[in-house]
This record gives sequence, C-alpha cells and structure tokens, in this order.
Amino acid sequence: MLDAATGGEYHGMSVTQPDPVGARLTGSLAAARAELTADVRRGAGGRGALERYSDRVDAMLRQLFADGKPPEHVVVLALGGYGRRHLCLHSDIDLLVLFGGSIGAVEERFLRSFLHPLWDIGVVVGHQVREIDDFRKLEADNPEFLLALLDARPVAGARALFDRFSALFHKPDTHAHILTSLLQLIDERHARFNATLYQLEPDVKESPGALRDLAATRTIALLTDPLLLRRGPADPARFDDAEDFLLRVRSTLHLETDRNLNVLSHELQEKTSEFLAYPGAEPRQRVERLMSDYFRHARTVSRSLEWARKTAPAPVGPNLGLSRDGIRFLDPIQAARDPSSWIGAFQAAIDSGTEVAEEAMSCIQQHVDRYRADDFFPDDASRAALLALLKPRAGLYARLSQMHDCGLLGRVFPEFQAISWRVVRDFYHKYTVDEHTLLTIRGLERLSTTADPYRQRLRNVLNELAEPELLVLSLLLHDVGKWRDDDHATESVRMARDVLDRLRLTDEARETVLFLIKHHLRMSLVAFRRDTEDPDIVKDFAAFIGTEQRLKMLCLLTLADVEAVSPETLTPWKEELLWRLYVDTYNHLTQRYGDERIGRNQAGVNDLLAQCPSDLEPQEITRFLEGLPQRYLQLFNHEAIYRHVRLARGIQPDEVHLSLDRQDSSVWTLAVVTLDKPFLFSNICGVLSSFGMDILRGHALTNPNGLVLDVFQFTDDERFLALNDDAQDRLLHVLENVVAGRDDVTVRLRGRERGALAVKTGARFPPVVRADKEASSQYTILDIVATNGLGLLYRISRVISQHGCDVDLVLIATEGEKAIDVFHITKGGSKLTDGEQQGLTSDLLRTLEDTQ
Amino acid sequence: MKMIKSIIRPNKVDDVKDALAKLNIAGMTVTEVRGHGKQKGHTAIYRGKEYNVSLLPKMEIEVVVPDALADDAIKAIVTAARTGEIGDGRVFVMPVQESYRIRTGEREA
Repeated sequence: MLDAATGGEYHGMSVTQPDPVGARLTGSLAAARAELTADVRRGAGGRGALERYSDRVDAMLRQLFADGKPPEHVVVLALGGYGRRHLCLHSDIDLLVLFGGSIGAVEERFLRSFLHPLWDIGVVVGHQVREIDDFRKLEADNPEFLLALLDARPVAGARALFDRFSALFHKPDTHAHILTSLLQLIDERHARFNATLYQLEPDVKESPGALRDLAATRTIALLTDPLLLRRGPADPARFDDAEDFLLRVRSTLHLETDRNLNVLSHELQEKTSEFLAYPGAEPRQRVERLMSDYFRHARTVSRSLEWARKTAPAPVGPNLGLSRDGIRFLDPIQAARDPSSWIGAFQAAIDSGTEVAEEAMSCIQQHVDRYRADDFFPDDASRAALLALLKPRAGLYARLSQMHDCGLLGRVFPEFQAISWRVVRDFYHKYTVDEHTLLTIRGLERLSTTADPYRQRLRNVLNELAEPELLVLSLLLHDVGKWRDDDHATESVRMARDVLDRLRLTDEARETVLFLIKHHLRMSLVAFRRDTEDPDIVKDFAAFIGTEQRLKMLCLLTLADVEAVSPETLTPWKEELLWRLYVDTYNHLTQRYGDERIGRNQAGVNDLLAQCPSDLEPQEITRFLEGLPQRYLQLFNHEAIYRHVRLARGIQPDEVHLSLDRQDSSVWTLAVVTLDKPFLFSNICGVLSSFGMDILRGHALTNPNGLVLDVFQFTDDERFLALNDDAQDRLLHVLENVVAGRDDVTVRLRGRERGALAVKTGARFPPVVRADKEASSQYTILDIVATNGLGLLYRISRVISQHGCDVDLVLIATEGEKAIDVFHITKGGSKLTDGEQQGLTSDLLRTLEDTQ
Repeated sequence: MKMIKSIIRPNKVDDVKDALAKLNIAGMTVTEVRGHGKQKGHTAIYRGKEYNVSLLPKMEIEVVVPDALADDAIKAIVTAARTGEIGDGRVFVMPVQESYRIRTGEREA
C-alpha cells in the first residue's frame, strides 16, 4: 500500500525540463480556470460552473492518463468534492490511483508519468495509491479517507476495476463504520465552532450549516436511507439552492484570495456581495443581505442535518438499521441475497423494543420462498442466534407473529407451516392452532415481566430457568402434529425431531424438548384430574418427570398452554392446582428421593447392562448402582454412568478417583469417587474453593457401603484449569492429601478467607435454613437458600460435620445469585433429634448471616 | 324439589357426574371454588419457606332433583366423591319452592 506520505519519492524524481505534455497541460488547465473565473466574476460560480470545471479537469486527467502508457489494470478515481464534481478554483484534486494487482516497476513508472506533470504545473493533488486487495480489509483508522471513498467516481482507466472496488467497499459493516465515524467527525467539527452556525465570519466549508454539513447530510441519507431527504424538513429544492449558494460564495473566496481559503471574513463579505450582485446603495446593506441569505441557507442545511441524524436508521447490526418505523435493511438488495441475516432483524427489533419495518417485511415476503430452512441458519453462529431469539422477553410474541405474517416462520420451521390457519373444532379452543401456539409464547413473555403479586412465584420459576429458549422452542412445536386429526403429541414429536436435527441441539437439550412436547398434556391431566393430595400420585409424577428442570419447564408449558386456549380457560383456581402439584413434586424430587434406592430388578438398569461397554462387567455396574438413589438413573446418561463405574473400580480408603471434563467455555464438570468419612464433603468443597472454583450445580450421593460419588459443575474464574496443563494432577494430588488427612483444607483456605471466600457483591438475600424430619423416612432434610459465593458449600457442610452429622446426599443448584442447596443428613445413622436439629439450624443461620 | 349442593375434590367431578347420570340426573351446574372446611388448609413448604395454603381449590356441583330422587342422589354423590381422607368435602340439601323454565316460562312442579 502506498499513500500520500510516500508520494515524495516520485516528486524527487520529477522531470524538470519543460516538455510538450507539460505545456499542453498548462494550457488546458489555464483555459479551464479562465472559464470558471469568468463564471465566478458573473456571480455564477455555483454548481453548474463547478461541474463544468470538474469535467474539464477530468478530460485533462484522461489525456494525461493515456499519455502515461497505463498498465492494463489501473483506474484513477476522483474522491471527495472532486468526486462530487464540485471542484473549486483552488480545491485540492483528490485522487485514488487503484491497481488491480501488486505494484511493481511498471506501475511505479506509470505513477511517475501521471502524477509528476500535475505537480509540475502547480496543481495540488491529494493522491492515494492502493492495490485492490487493500480493500479486503477496512482501513478503520482513516475515517476521512473512507468518507472520501463514498464519493469515488472513475475518471480514467479500467471501469471493471472500479466495479470490483465498489463490490469490496460497499458493505453494510463498512457503511455502519463510516456512519459512526462521520457522526463523530461532525461533532468534533461543530465543537470547533462552538456548535453554532451564526458566525460573523463563517467558514463556508467547515462551519455548522456550511458545505461539509451539506455533504454529511447527503452521506447519512446514502448510508441509511436514500429517500431520507425527501421526507426532511426542507424541500429538496431548497437544499439544492443552499448548496448552489454556498458554492458560489466559496468560488468568489477562492478567486479573491487566489488560494484555497474558505472563511467569509468581513472584508471578503463586501467583495462577495459585489460579485453576487446584491442590491444596496451602501456596502453595509449589500453585506447584510448577503449574510442574511447565508444564515438562511445555513439554517436549512443545519436543520436537515439534525433531522437526518435523528431520523436516519441507526446501525444495529450487519445491514440493519433502527429507524422510526422499526428495523430496516440498510441494503435491501444485499438482504435479499442473505437470508441468514433475516433472523437478526427480528432479534434487533426485540433488543431495540421496536418492530421490523414494513419495508423489510416486504423484502422478506418477496424473497422468502426462494430459500429452504437450512438457508436461514447455515452455521453454528446462526443456529445459536435463532435459539437466542426464542428467549422469552417483551416483544417476542409480536416479532414471531411478524415472522409468521411475512412467511418467514413457516420457512424456518416448515413444520409450523403445517398448522398455519389450522382449525380444530372442540369445545375449548378459540383460536387457530398457529395462533394458539404463538399465544402460549405471549403468555410466557408476559409472565416473565408480570407485576401481579399473585404470579410472582411462577415468574420466579421462569426466570430461574437455565435455558428458557428450549421451553419456547417446545411451545412452538408442541401442537405441530395437529395438522392431522389423530394423536397429535406423537406426531408433534415426530416432526420436532426434524427441527432439532437441523438446529443440531445437544443431546440433552434435544431430549428435554422432545420430552416436553411428548408429555405436554400430562401435567394438566395430573393437576386437574387426579387427586394430588394422594402422595402416591405425586410420587409417580415425580418419578415420571425425573428432574427439577424438567418439572419447571413442564409446569410453565402447561400454564402457557392452558392460558392460550381462551381468555377464560386459565382461572386462578387452575393456576393454584398447578402450583400445588409443582411444589409437591419439587419437594418430592428434592427431599424424598433418598428414600427410593436402586434395588435388584430396577427399571432402567437392564438397558444399562445391555449396552455395557466391553471394558465393564455387568456385575460391576450392578454393584455400583445398588443402594444409590433411583434418581441417579435419571440424572445421568449412560456414558456418564459408565464413567462413574470406572472411577469406582478398586477404590480404597483415602483414595480419590476423579475425572474432569470441560462442559462449555466456562463450565467444568468434576466427578469424584471416594469412600465416605467425616468432613469428606466439606473437604472436597473446600479444596475446590481453594482453587477459586465456584460450584454452580451438583449432586453428592452415597450408597450404603460408604461409596461416595460427588459430581460438581463449577466455573473456574481464576482459570487455573485452563492455564495449567497439569491442573488435573495437581487437583487430584491436593484432594488426596486433604481426604487422607495429610493436608488441612482450612490452612489452604486461610489465605483466601478475606479475599476469594468473600461473597460476590450484588444482590443479597436473607438466608433461609429449614430442617425437616417428616419429608423423608431416613433423613433429616436441610433446605438452604442463600446468596451464592465462593466457599458457601464448604462453610455450610463444615458446620454440619462439626455437629457430628453425616452428609449423605446433597443437591446443589444456583439460580443467578441465589444458591439453593438441599442436604440429606443423619447422625449416627438416624434422623436428628429436635434438639440437635435446633442447634444445627441456628449455627448454620449464624454462619450464613456472618459471612453474607 | 331439592337443591343438592356438593363441595368436592376437583378430581372427583367426573365420577360424581357419572354417578348422577346413572340416576338420569343430567342438568347440573359445576363451579370452580376455593375454600376450607374443618381442616383450615395446611402449610406448604417451598425451598425452606412455609406458605399457608388456607383456601383449597374445590369443585361445587349443584343439582335440583325431585324429592323422591334426593336420597339416591345424595348417596350417589357421597359414594363417588369419597376417598376416606380429610378434604373429601360436603353435601348440602335445600328445599326448592318453585322452578321455571326460562324458554317457555313454564312452571315446573
């Protein structure tokens, strides 16, 4: 890349002898200037005259270009004011010499022959030299150059090269960048003039309301909405008048001062008013009339610029602008070719609290049938963007409805198209199946922001979901099977499988969505038609649902589904029934699962044995499983269970076997197998905390033989695992030492007491500690809700162990800043006495209150 | 004529309807209601916090039957709605003086 700064070397080698080329050039330039001068003297140095002058300079450059024996792939482009054909008498001639390939000796020779004669005749050339490939990357740090390029106009050379340049340069991202830079440049320039156009000696190029503002207004329109100025405060004709006036004034300034000077000083105001033939006996009167015209025109420009700035679509994404009527495609032609950008328009509309503009809707509607589902999410990033769009929040229903209206939703999800305007006659539903489906999503969206005190409990459940977009996806697909008249849930599942394949969801997410769709009627059946006060009904439902996450999602799905049937269907009475079933099932899942142990002939075990990998013996698996809570089989998939069995192999007292996996960019999973002993759980938690790991979720399980399996998911905020290759060995080493009693975790943590163990700043919740000896037949249950913080589990479990209690089972969950932990504990193999329970809970509360 | 008003468990509505249908009692009014009887609700616990659930969701079924059918209807309702646990509900019986069919204005005995 060469630029003006290196141009000096050509200058140094310039030809100094007069030559026929130079003489002809001097002659052409002089003739062009004479013509312009005559126009200016007549007061007619406005747009027409400057265009004629620019054309003559063009002709001169073309001749010079031809004389210079140009290589095949070169084009000379006029930039900036010259590009707009507004070249004044002493304006710099801004040029870009663009080569189609790399610049070698031939190209340099051409440059010399083209540029040197111009310098020799005294023309001020602002030139840039580039290779076409330079435009593959944006020169983000050179905003003035980028702005000048917007006016680029081919003067001489290969037109095709100019077209290639245009294709490379005019991209939505580049436009967005230029727009941002332009707005900043305007602010900086205005600041130099104290942001007022009413200058007694205005600069007709730089002042607010002068020529640069005029060009900027047009540029904003060009970059955002070419028709913008037609809707502006000034009639476009008045805007053109202002331009002509300012150019006429500028021309007289150049003529009078004989240089590129643009300040309309008091002295020059008199001269200019004469040139422009203002009437008046006294110079003062003529000047007043001139300046009053100036301010009138400057005000027109200024108002138009302000209006354009306010009204122009603000860039909100690739090829997306936010305008008064919503999100628009900045370049509809480009948008029509790139369907993967369409989802972004709806995302931007939700983010900006607006809609997708009618114009963009028409663009999509016009082109949508050309594309297949995969075209809308061709890569991982666009698939993730589609899922992100489905997060329930204000505006989602309205945007999905827009997507449906313009045909996009049915193309992205052809399965959904099958229920478009579908009428199913029954006694309950009031809307077509597609609208019922979208209304379920509206219900969820409203729940996510409701202020109704009665609904806060369900709003909390929704806001606690780790992946609420999966719930919305399930809702979107739950009734697609209704295109047929028979068992719609089964058909919906069949159709949803295709969607999930295309979206390439993780296995876990996929299972969740299919479960919710398949069983979307189950919870309303149990809540409204079964005796939920019967513990066996709740127990069966808990066994069926398996995990708290699924329970939460199915509860919300049921609520949304019932609510969308008709305005009268979801009564507070039904909501109460649903909530009660939710709470009873949640309590069963978290407090009673310890009573249900895996025994011989346990359902689900046969599958595990049948698919047993060759390195495992079936007996090994059954031995490992026996006595673990039945929920274990629902919490972990087969692969994880086999991994746990391998970890348990040959475990001896004080040994620790562990496996560590990275789940995603921030979350790690650690599985630890060891044999139970006092303080074990708090020691393990303490070690993790001593490495700065923040435990988010997990399960601690024991079987009657004292085998302990703890599975933690945690974030490694200090990046110990990411930065140390031997991290796993070091972690294992410390764990073994601490578990065997060779190392004291309290010592390891001492250095962190004040620092890392401190609770995160942010929202605090008063801690809740509740012990229950009724919920389970074998355990005292401790429900603890507290503000999450590094070391929280360590502190809690240490107090429990200090009270001589065994930690048998633990459920660990985190929802935002809130930690929700449920401990199943015993003392000497039995539940705690009332006194022991009382002592422990008050100690725990004290600990939590002291450190929170 | 007697009006029989039953407060029953929500999940027992279908059973009660079926039992009344067997006595050829087809007309009825079913309402979602909330309330409590002697049990005065109970305490529910969610995440360590106690919630007092004082008003429980129940269903109210009203039927009007000839005096001669009243005993059978009451027996059918009680049998169908019973689980033997607290919270099975109540049946109230009231005399009905007159009854009119709105469509025809006709008075029924």
